[in-house]
Amino acid sequence: MLGLGVLVGFAAGGQALVTVSGLPLPGSVVGLALLWAALGLKIVRLHWIADAADGLLGILGLLFVPATVGFIGYLSAGAAWGLWLLVMTAGLLLGGGVAGVLASRLARPEQRGPEV
Amino acid sequence: MAWIALTLIAFALGVVLQTRVRSPLANPTLIATLIVAGVLLVGGVSHADYLDRVRPLTALLAPAIVALAVPLYRLRALLSRQWRSLVIGGLSGTLVGVGTDVFFSRMLNLSDQAQRSLLTAPATSPVALQLAQFTGAPSALAATLAVLSGLVGALILPGFLTLLGVKHPLARGLAIGAVAHGVGTARAREEGELTGAASSIGMGLAALLVTLVVAGVSRG
Repeated sequence: MLGLGVLVGFAAGGQALVTVSGLPLPGSVVGLALLWAALGLKIVRLHWIADAADGLLGILGLLFVPATVGFIGYLSAGAAWGLWLLVMTAGLLLGGGVAGVLASRLARPEQRGPEV
Repeated sequence: MAWIALTLIAFALGVVLQTRVRSPLANPTLIATLIVAGVLLVGGVSHADYLDRVRPLTALLAPAIVALAVPLYRLRALLSRQWRSLVIGGLSGTLVGVGTDVFFSRMLNLSDQAQRSLLTAPATSPVALQLAQFTGAPSALAATLAVLSGLVGALILPGFLTLLGVKHPLARGLAIGAVAHGVGTARAREEGELTGAASSIGMGLAALLVTLVVAGVSRG
């Protein structure tokens, strides 16, 4: 429960920061960055939140089902879905390709030996 | 409560199916979405009514996004050892992905709603959902297209990267995570521990970068 409290606290803190600063950022993503920094600075210990975080991330795919169900409002778009998927696929191939090629050029040899 | 129960059961069915069928298409979010959507359509219930009833589920979304900091922190050793490859490769890939989506959706003259929704497709769906308020995209469409991006990416990227000659597990994982986030990361884990870890990093960096791009765009 402590873990969940810390996560909710950082989400609320991120939201408060966004509200006060007026920055166009989602509070939860700001909370993510704040928690990452707090873990790095040892203000928050990993074992406080590890169980709660793993539990929530395990059901992350469930939590946005209510939003994705809203696609039923776009059934009338019909054939346009094909174009949307086409654009998305182009983005996936170009973006993924650039990331893969750049990262393999820049990667340092791993000491641990090759993984399968 | 009935709608929360239905959503949970539909998701659980998806998880069971996923363990039986080894395909990215056997994805619990996709399966739960289709089952719940079917029930809503048959029952003549509006999406707004359904959203209202399942609010407790949606309330957990913000702390779950915050929790993404934990895998990023756990992978700090890998991140500091390979930061050039991971940060430069991941951010460039995500930026090219977003840029391609924007370019082609303008060129094909897609509807305004679709253009705004595609902008955040390379970010993990919960983040795409949160960003909808700033992009002006309908949140349902932004979330759905982000989920589809993960599914399609998990299906096509591993083969495409092999075609490009990208063999390094770190680069393969990063590329999949940078544009195909959650579902892609699950697929990347099947290739090995390092591939999965790199994909998690790619997904985390993509979420932060797409957020910053959206912030920049909505300010300007």
